[in-house]
Amino acid sequence: MLLLDIKNLTIELETADGLVRAVDRVSLSLREGETRGLVGESGSGKSLIAKAIVGVLNRRWQVTADRFHWLGKDLLRLTPEQRRQIIGRDIAMIYQEPSRSLDPTAVIGEQLEEAIPDHLLSGPWWRRSALRRKKAVGLLHKVGVRDHQRVLQSYPYQLSEGICQKVMIAMAIAKNPKLLIADEPTTALESTTQAQLFRLLASFNQLKGMAVLLISHELESVARYTQKLSVLYCGQLVEAGETTQVLQAPLHPYTDALIKSVPEFQPDLAPKTPLYALPGSIPTLQHVPIGCRLGPRCPNARKECVKTPALERQQNHYFSCHFPLTTKGN
Amino acid sequence: MTDLLEVQALSKGYTKQQGWFGRQHITALDDVSFTLAEGKTLAIVGETGSGKSTLAKLLVGIEKPDSGQILLAGQPVEISHYKKYNHVIRFIFQDAGRSLNPSQKVGQMLEDVLCFSTVLDQQQRRYKIGQTLKLLGLLDEHAEYYPHMFSGGQLQRVALARALILDPKLLILDEALTALDPTLRAQIVNLLLELQQSSGLAYLLISNQLRLVRHISDSILVLHQGKVVDYGTTTEVFAAPAHDYTKKLINSSAG
Amino acid sequence: MSKFRLYLEENNRSPVKQLWREFKRQHSAMTGLVLFITFFFISVLAPFITPHDPYLQVDELLLLPPSWSAAGLVQYPFGTDDLGRDLLSRMIKGTSYTFGFALITVAGALIMGLVLGALAGMSKGVKSSVFNHILDLALTIPSLLLAIIIVAVIGPGLMNTTWAIMVALLPQFVHGIRNAIDEELKQDYVIAYRLDGANSWQVLTRLILPNIWEKLTIMATMAISTAILDIAALGFLGFGAQAPLSEWGAMISDSLDLIYLAPSSVAIPGLLIFTAVLSVNLVGDGLKTAILKRRQN
Repeated sequence: MLLLDIKNLTIELETADGLVRAVDRVSLSLREGETRGLVGESGSGKSLIAKAIVGVLNRRWQVTADRFHWLGKDLLRLTPEQRRQIIGRDIAMIYQEPSRSLDPTAVIGEQLEEAIPDHLLSGPWWRRSALRRKKAVGLLHKVGVRDHQRVLQSYPYQLSEGICQKVMIAMAIAKNPKLLIADEPTTALESTTQAQLFRLLASFNQLKGMAVLLISHELESVARYTQKLSVLYCGQLVEAGETTQVLQAPLHPYTDALIKSVPEFQPDLAPKTPLYALPGSIPTLQHVPIGCRLGPRCPNARKECVKTPALERQQNHYFSCHFPLTTKGN
Repeated sequence: MTDLLEVQALSKGYTKQQGWFGRQHITALDDVSFTLAEGKTLAIVGETGSGKSTLAKLLVGIEKPDSGQILLAGQPVEISHYKKYNHVIRFIFQDAGRSLNPSQKVGQMLEDVLCFSTVLDQQQRRYKIGQTLKLLGLLDEHAEYYPHMFSGGQLQRVALARALILDPKLLILDEALTALDPTLRAQIVNLLLELQQSSGLAYLLISNQLRLVRHISDSILVLHQGKVVDYGTTTEVFAAPAHDYTKKLINSSAG
Repeated sequence: MSKFRLYLEENNRSPVKQLWREFKRQHSAMTGLVLFITFFFISVLAPFITPHDPYLQVDELLLLPPSWSAAGLVQYPFGTDDLGRDLLSRMIKGTSYTFGFALITVAGALIMGLVLGALAGMSKGVKSSVFNHILDLALTIPSLLLAIIIVAVIGPGLMNTTWAIMVALLPQFVHGIRNAIDEELKQDYVIAYRLDGANSWQVLTRLILPNIWEKLTIMATMAISTAILDIAALGFLGFGAQAPLSEWGAMISDSLDLIYLAPSSVAIPGLLIFTAVLSVNLVGDGLKTAILKRRQN
């Protein structure tokens, strides 16, 4: 059954000069126990989509969608109260800078215990606090923090970013969510810790069947730990499909450029040789081109590209381009 | 041929106040030596607190070393006289947006750089600014822009223009490529490689991501807690890492 | 170049223009600004636009009511006071005393504050710390109290009041400017600028001052309202402007005995003080909001 089913999600920002469309008809779906990567450069709207899913966008943003279903319920039609209940129960999110999303004035133990919902504690009320503590320690062990005593008694500033992020994950999994959204979880971390964290997320996915939506601007780190992949550019979905398939035979020129621009995916590229790069820079939201937003930067753009291409399908591989790349390496 | 930059046994420590009376001595850099030839790239890799930022600060002269020597083209120099050497070694910040004054036009900023460190007259300065902007793929009009009008990739180009306008020999890039988006990063990498080939610029690349380092750098130096744990050409180090930390780092980047 | 507008306007404006755009959108702030400019021009042009001599005592026209009452005269719109002086002319003249002198006071305090604040902000170590602690001490005394003490020492009078308020306002300026400079010095671009070869003076004048002037303006507007209130209060208490001078505070205290006979002679200066302070505060508030909004975009 589809956990999350979003069709044609559009997010617009009210500015002084009218509505600015930050996310343009993006579709996204997630099965139970699936890991999906959401890749896009800055301004692609990937964080906005995550925020729209958990419903934390402020009033300046208008969210519309043809379908916005969570386990068959349309989230946009619920009252905020009902929606919050569902999301609070089923979806957890972790952010880019863990030390900033933790309360600096409370010790970790207090914050972690607070994140454990009552219904998961079985026992009479007078044993609740002891159970809570025990559960908090257990959670820390699960995310690979061994000296729980020290961590529980520390304030966020006393811990490294890596540990803080692990604590965030512990808080996120405390309620056994069905979906974990990780918004650039490793950007602030050391490269050695980054791999650790991705492995951690992958293991939770495999052991508990927790679906993971992994958001990042680095294709290479996402590709390694996800089954499905969605690539965004400037608020438009350019390609989606099985990760291996997308990497091996990208159909959209942008995905192709993204893959080729990373030396890691090009093992036969000699050191110090130029990388493949798209010309131009990412347009700002106010100045996006009409039609396919990649248009001006696209190597094989043609006249038809001023019309927004519809999302097409080749088996399980979705793409939106008038002139998809047919074979790899042209 | 003498090396462009030679660093000999550089050390630096800080004293940190602890409580009311306690003091703690922290060694940020311990006996670091390396050389860098013209037109080559040296990558300095290490985690936060390994001393790589301190090394950068010492090299550009924001701080003075406790002991050790910095040799530029064979001559020992006091780099902290940055008036004298700042046009040889230039520094690129991690966040280009924050290294630019928000209330100054880019052209004015570049002109200031020339005013401070060169003896060119106004017309020569104009010419130089135009040339540098062109070199980095920017337009003359961009001189009239304020930093907030540029997008991320362009800002990095502006920062590069600011560094290159003094015709330096060495460019220190402090995590300057890490935060960029992939397609823009590829552009900047290409630009840097091109510049290196055409003008023999040397780069000191400070990073904690091995992915790019492997592609760009000729040699690599791994810092761990202020000490050099691995130093050699990139292929050597990747083939046979000597220290556990280096192995861990290579493993984590290879998956 | 102006023919081709490749980009939308709003992003291609200089920071100052963006600020003005955000400021213009707030009606209250614009009202405040219009009032402020009006007051400014009245205080500058006061000697030329008064319909009568503000000090001329006309014996036949004592305590004339305002022109909107039946007994009033059109030539004396606000009426006259107990000595037969035209109230409108006295109000206009009073603008330059209360409002104009407040501006001068703040300008003086700002210049002194800039010098001292820059010295404090750019220096480091024991010197700066001692200086700052003394300043912090001075900040604990309310400005009006400090001004009263200073006037008590050097004697009453409008000029002395100006000096006193200037000195009383100084600590908060120095403190604010020092903090603003401190904050700027932490920025990356200051290091970048130094690496370009700039010395401290160049860093201060080309980098820091352009970046803190907005904060300075806000500080100054808030100080102007304090200064207006202080000048009026000291005048009211009899420490400030003396008898014939038509300073608003002094005028209120002069006509306080006549409040039942001629209420307008108390109400009008009071209303003016209120409007002046309001206009200044509206401008200051508007600036603050505009800066905040610009940062959000």
